[in-house]
Amino acid sequence: MKGSRRRPSPSRPNSLTRLRALVREHLRSLVFSLGKLYRHPFASTLTILVIAVALALPACMYLLLDNLQAVTEKWDDTGQITLFLDSDSSEAEIGKLREQLATLEEIESIRYVSAEQALAEFRSLSKLEYLIEGLEENPLPPTLTLTPFEQAKQAGHLDRLVQELGTFAQVEQVQLDMQWLQRLQAITVVVHRAIMMLGITLAISVLLVVGNSIRLDIENRREEIEVAKLIGATNRFVRRPFLYGGMWYGLLGGGLALLLVLLVMYVIEAPAQHLIGLYNSNFELIFPDLRQGLALVATSIVLGLLGSWLAVGRHIVRIEPS
Amino acid sequence: MIELQNVTKRYPGNRDALTQLDLVLKRGEMAFLTGPSGAGKSTLLKLIAAIERPTRGRILINQKNITHIPKRKIPNLRRFMGIVFQDHHLLYDRSVFDNVSLPLQIAGYTRAEISRRVRAALDKVALLNKEKAMPITLSGGEQQRVGIARAVVHKPAILLADEPTGNLDPGLSAEIMQLFSEFNQVGVTVLIASHDLDLISRLGRRIIRLQGGQRINGQAQQA
Repeated sequence: MKGSRRRPSPSRPNSLTRLRALVREHLRSLVFSLGKLYRHPFASTLTILVIAVALALPACMYLLLDNLQAVTEKWDDTGQITLFLDSDSSEAEIGKLREQLATLEEIESIRYVSAEQALAEFRSLSKLEYLIEGLEENPLPPTLTLTPFEQAKQAGHLDRLVQELGTFAQVEQVQLDMQWLQRLQAITVVVHRAIMMLGITLAISVLLVVGNSIRLDIENRREEIEVAKLIGATNRFVRRPFLYGGMWYGLLGGGLALLLVLLVMYVIEAPAQHLIGLYNSNFELIFPDLRQGLALVATSIVLGLLGSWLAVGRHIVRIEPS
Repeated sequence: MIELQNVTKRYPGNRDALTQLDLVLKRGEMAFLTGPSGAGKSTLLKLIAAIERPTRGRILINQKNITHIPKRKIPNLRRFMGIVFQDHHLLYDRSVFDNVSLPLQIAGYTRAEISRRVRAALDKVALLNKEKAMPITLSGGEQQRVGIARAVVHKPAILLADEPTGNLDPGLSAEIMQLFSEFNQVGVTVLIASHDLDLISRLGRRIIRLQGGQRINGQAQQA
């Protein structure tokens, strides 16, 4: 009684059975709170749907961005430096240049395309044969295509390399194929930020939705809370089922969000593969892996718990029997 | 067991609900609290259960001063007593068994112990066959007996009842009072607020009369 250590009634449970009882009480709250959702299917479903949509939206956008980044990373392999050589260069001069280039530590491989080869290639790819036939001389220069090592591909490194390559006598023009890629990557960084902010905004809305549902639930069960307090329930005891309720909202909403994301991915898979095929790429669409899926659901659970905690915090303490 | 010393309770903006009230209830005693509506019966019970706090004076339960009991200690105080309400305060979304077991769940008893005690309490109020029923399907008298079973299932030292027979016919009321007497016989201190003077005067227990927040006739009426 009144907080004294003395036992108010002769057969109060001891500490071990109390611990076991606590675990059991947690389990009971867990099941009870799920039962509550089940018994109010309309309201629960609505809340869970709102959570699912709010989480699926940024998750989908993030995944699409992820795919875009993966595609551009694949293109990195073809991120090369093309040297357009002086058309008057002799084979011997070009051979000497190739030897010099081979000593540069940034360069992994060198591919030489002579002016004749370039013309032949152009002829086979384009349908402009009659135009080419009419040319008096080959307008195409010989080219050297250099593939830098992965480590050398950082922007600053490449700029220096490009400058250095420009100093060779036979080199007329240096073209870095990666500039547009860098721009694309810069864009993805911006988009990434935007998605992150959107995600945070929607996460806050999930908090509020769960918080509001739990608050309504508390309001509806005010009498039950008063009765429980009248017969000696602590705030913690009363709070527990509501917190688990929030957890269930989070778990079910997060699970549904994951299903929505997978659904979106399956729907866009075929047209996306078609698009990728048009670019002669063998890229495969990235689906969320187990870790990402779990992260989504875990985030949702944390948001649910946090939302209910916010609602429960002051509310339950304030409900007192009168 | 229950002691009020010079207790005054004033609700904001109203006159005193209780004025300088002294009251002692010994361990194992059974008493009735009576008087017209607004005499302060309910307020007195609320003060004992720490639902309300006195404006002035001291309240002792089991020799412990609860006048300024901190909120976090109130649950333990309430587990020390059982409270029966006029309108039962049952939870209508769960069975009789679950209603009665609530105090034991709160106190953290094992499932086996809960089962045993709930059955014993239901047996005591002759409702053992209704343990799976929902409270709404029971009659008023049965619901009140469920409320009593819930109030005694954790074997409290003090049993408080606020108009427990308020909605019942005389026959049922007598049965309910008989139940309270039986609990008193096993040592529970019982305090019952009731305006049913006919009934309580026949029971031959101590009667505390209140009017306008004051005792009007303090002497014990022993059988």
